[in-house]
Amino acid sequence: MGSNQSLDIKNKEFMLVGGLLVVVAGLMAFFPTLDDSGTTDWISIPLVGFPIVVSCILLAFASQESRDRKEIIAVPIRLFTLCAYLVPRAISTALFFDWLILVDWDLMYNEYALEKEYLWIESIGASWHVGMDGLSFPMVWLTTFLVPVTIIMTWEEKDGATYHPLLLMMGGALIGVFVALDLFLFYVFWELTLIPMFFLILKWGGKDRRYAAQKFFIYTFCASVIMLLGLITLYFLQPESTGSGYGTVTGRTCDMTVLFSNANAKNMGDSVFLGKDMQNILFAMLMLGFLVKLPAVPFHTWLPDAHVQAPTGGSMLLAGVMLKMGAYGMLRIPIAILPDALVFYQDIIMAIGLISLVWGAVVCLGQTNLKRMVAYSSVSHMGVILLGIASMQPIGYAAALFMMFAHGIISPMLFAVCGAFKHHYHSMEIGSMRGMAKWSPFLAVYMMFAWMASLGLPLLAGFVAEFMVLIAYWPEYGWWILLPGFVLAITAGYYLWSMQRTIFEGGDEGHPPESLNGETPPDITLPENIGMIILAIFTVIFGIFPFIALGMMDDWTVALFEGVFNRGGI
Amino acid sequence: MIGQLHSSRVYSTEGVSEMDNESVEVFSTEFWQAFAPEMVLVIGLALVFIVPNLGNSKFRIPLTKVQVPWFLGGRRFKITGSPAIPGILATATLFTALGMMIIETIDGDMASTTVTSGDIVLLQIDNFSRFFEIIFLAAVLLASMASLDRIPAHTFSGKKSLDEMYDNRRQADFYILMLTTALGMSTVALAQDLFVLFIGLELASLATYVLVGFHKESKSGAEAGVKYFIVGSVASGIGLYGLSLLYLEFGSLQLTTLAANWDDGSILGTIALGLVLVGFGFKVSAAPFHFAAPDAYAGANSPVAGVLATASKAMGMIGLIRVLLVVALPDSQTDGSAVWLYTLATLSVVTMTWGNLAALGSTNPKRMLAYSSVAHAGYMMAALTAVGAWKWGEVDAPADYAEAIVAAVLFHLCVLVAFKLGAFLVLGLLEMEGGASRLSALSGLARRDPLIGTAMFIFMLALAGVPPLAGFMSKFLVVAGIVSASVGELSTNGSVSFSDIHWIWWLALAMFLNSAISVFYYLRIGVVMFLDTPEEGRRKPLPHGASIRMAIWICLVATIILGLSGDTLIDMCYRAAESLNLA
Repeated sequence: MGSNQSLDIKNKEFMLVGGLLVVVAGLMAFFPTLDDSGTTDWISIPLVGFPIVVSCILLAFASQESRDRKEIIAVPIRLFTLCAYLVPRAISTALFFDWLILVDWDLMYNEYALEKEYLWIESIGASWHVGMDGLSFPMVWLTTFLVPVTIIMTWEEKDGATYHPLLLMMGGALIGVFVALDLFLFYVFWELTLIPMFFLILKWGGKDRRYAAQKFFIYTFCASVIMLLGLITLYFLQPESTGSGYGTVTGRTCDMTVLFSNANAKNMGDSVFLGKDMQNILFAMLMLGFLVKLPAVPFHTWLPDAHVQAPTGGSMLLAGVMLKMGAYGMLRIPIAILPDALVFYQDIIMAIGLISLVWGAVVCLGQTNLKRMVAYSSVSHMGVILLGIASMQPIGYAAALFMMFAHGIISPMLFAVCGAFKHHYHSMEIGSMRGMAKWSPFLAVYMMFAWMASLGLPLLAGFVAEFMVLIAYWPEYGWWILLPGFVLAITAGYYLWSMQRTIFEGGDEGHPPESLNGETPPDITLPENIGMIILAIFTVIFGIFPFIALGMMDDWTVALFEGVFNRGGI
Repeated sequence: MIGQLHSSRVYSTEGVSEMDNESVEVFSTEFWQAFAPEMVLVIGLALVFIVPNLGNSKFRIPLTKVQVPWFLGGRRFKITGSPAIPGILATATLFTALGMMIIETIDGDMASTTVTSGDIVLLQIDNFSRFFEIIFLAAVLLASMASLDRIPAHTFSGKKSLDEMYDNRRQADFYILMLTTALGMSTVALAQDLFVLFIGLELASLATYVLVGFHKESKSGAEAGVKYFIVGSVASGIGLYGLSLLYLEFGSLQLTTLAANWDDGSILGTIALGLVLVGFGFKVSAAPFHFAAPDAYAGANSPVAGVLATASKAMGMIGLIRVLLVVALPDSQTDGSAVWLYTLATLSVVTMTWGNLAALGSTNPKRMLAYSSVAHAGYMMAALTAVGAWKWGEVDAPADYAEAIVAAVLFHLCVLVAFKLGAFLVLGLLEMEGGASRLSALSGLARRDPLIGTAMFIFMLALAGVPPLAGFMSKFLVVAGIVSASVGELSTNGSVSFSDIHWIWWLALAMFLNSAISVFYYLRIGVVMFLDTPEEGRRKPLPHGASIRMAIWICLVATIILGLSGDTLIDMCYRAAESLNLA
């Protein structure tokens, strides 16, 4: 915990923290009201710019210190990181409860709350255009919820002076992806999230971190450039125009809202935006980028490597939010503007979803590494999202959204348990130990809870989503429903099996892993306990009262179906 | 904005804009005024010759005892004789000339000035040539700033070592060659006659041949110099032969005459075009003329290699643009035979793929950067292909599409100076403490000097094209240009079929797939810097080198700023492309 070191704060650290606080206060006071119209911009600076800028400052400071000094300043830096991220945390919560301003989340399709636009690169028509709706706000809230929990969970991570600022940067960049309403801005943040995650894996990862970090970066980058080519082609297929927001050189605009309304206006009755042929090609290109990020079989191979090697905090954010970027992107761009292609590819998406679901679950059965098993279970759960999308039912879309949200709370807990396991038992092998309940009752309880939540126990968040997806699945695909139903049973199988072996077997004495060299295994530490209990509480809350988040998602789904799919043609 | 840019354009039949065009006779008063920045370069060059030789020599008037102070030769004055003087003079000269040019161009209302000698148009100052001169001077300026530390001038306090004496004796030679390179390159940018262009090209090339082999006591330096010289002069010879054939066919080497008389059916003209392209292809290091480049870059000291990879490449690109886009394009959109379209498309794909695959396998960071610069040449050639596809009437699009593509190429050339030269300068900093020819020389760099390590990583990400850096912006613009040309005016009809899109769209795909491959080797540098432990004997902090670090910071800031907001530069590029009068 380094509590004895925290007393050792000398003048320099004091000045560091104090100076940063001044900077932050200045930023906060000045920037949110940058707009001419007098309305406050609650997104650009507080949610996106602030975490990224603060983390850059902290990293620049920390990098100049010697190794010993780094140990000392790690304490104020991680405290400050946590405090700094509580700003977006507070703002996102306040926006939900209408404490700051009254926000109407029941929006029409292509309407956004808290929308702001500033001109940026005028020659290509890119602008800093941000806003939130029922699709993005739950994801933003989830990010602001997870990052502080992750910071608390990994409070004792080594080299904290650079580790925690990187988490902070992740937090800003991820929100940037969700709030961007400009293709260029979206892509910038989409790639920006790779960089802190690359370093988290590279510097704090396991034995094969070098391979895992590069594979993660290259794999997702390759897919993203294909997606970018799709976006650029889409950009040039829009009609040329002049005026504010249109590029002075290219004559097109990167603005997503303009793109959406153009596409929506063309997708009426029998007319099809860009024609069916072009829609199919573009849809495939865009979906490739998003499917790799999701990830869906057969593009999932980067995920187990990245997860197993990543540090706990990296895994938590990777599974909790980064995977959702894929699903978010799908719903935001290709599905909303290329609905005819969606109909064309419906069965293929269903098949990919089903294969991910089955493949992930079957592979899980064969895993001996706890974290690898959990990683494959993520692949499996992401398949559920695809099933919801392929169902073409409003309830299926709402379910997909809720699955994103629920998995965003449950999977970090799974990885938190794995991390704690690794931290205290120095091993990830399921078969290496028995009777964990004896030494680590807390860890055993959390593990059981997380496992149950992930396999879809009623009254926990995961159940709601899975149940809704199955409801949506039935009218479209009929008795095929037995397959996902059966897979959910397999899921229960591998979870219960791994739990039975690690927690309960082994009699009264148990069987501690050999990696401990005969020492008595400890229970989890206080920060880990705090982090996990927060996650557990929210899993229960959203399991019992799903409508807190689901209401907003329902509204968005209804708006999407009214705005995009309901045109007599489909 | 677009309307405003276009309203000032009037097309003449000869392809030269008559608007705002002033024609001056060579060596007239107006000539000197127009060429003030270049004159600064010439004066600076003369000063570097003269100042170190100032001394107390006297000249005795014959048959008398009157001695007139003559100042050249004799015992050198202490201040002017200091070995640090040439470097400072050269840097100051380049800085002044660069500043004058930027002030002249940046607001965009520059009139173009043509220099004639009788009927012959020799040089033309316009946005295009000034833009390239800015690229050249910026690259040479950064390289000479870095060289102030890379080849330091020593003040002897006590024992002299052999290396120190070598360094001191070389000061004047080195900076004379640097300034000559800049002057030659400027001539290439200004030339309106292929022969003048060739003279400038050779002036710059001869200087760079010597600069590559400047460290003659090191084996690799000498080898690189000789190799680069031999291959380079063969390429120049072939190019010159091409020029002679062009002259035979058209009776002139004037760009305007050639452009007006160019005939796609001419066999002699096509052969000549091919031969000329070999000469310029060597300069941009396009496959299959790139073989000398990796050796030359690896053997030269890093700032010089950086100049080769940026300014020298831009110089070759001027040649390609002048010959392909100004001369060898038909005068109007016709369905004529696309003479060089398929050749260039194939070459560009081969070049980028070859460069990237070879870079994957090279463990010497300088060779890796050399191959990556081959790949970048491929990207730019793909963009030129797109212009060709537009001009041969295969794509139905207005002229500003082609100008946007050329502007993207210019933007790419300009930002390359920021991050490619920056990467070479970081290697230069490593060379100061003993070599950067192995990947392991970089290991642990981020731990030894976090800021330099981060800067290098940012340069690598920019080369790979990761947003929001300048490298992404340039790649985005190039791909956007190609895609816009391939899509053309399709967007006006509601429904588009994929088969309507022109095949150059696949070049964009090839570019992106290639930049995905390139991430492998750029990331490897990052991994080595951040993860590996430093080599034995390289555990201490990096050498200080104030001015090389300053140059690196300038590159870093430019890489980030031009990525976040490149509007001013894009406008400059667009104006430069406009003054080519492609339509």
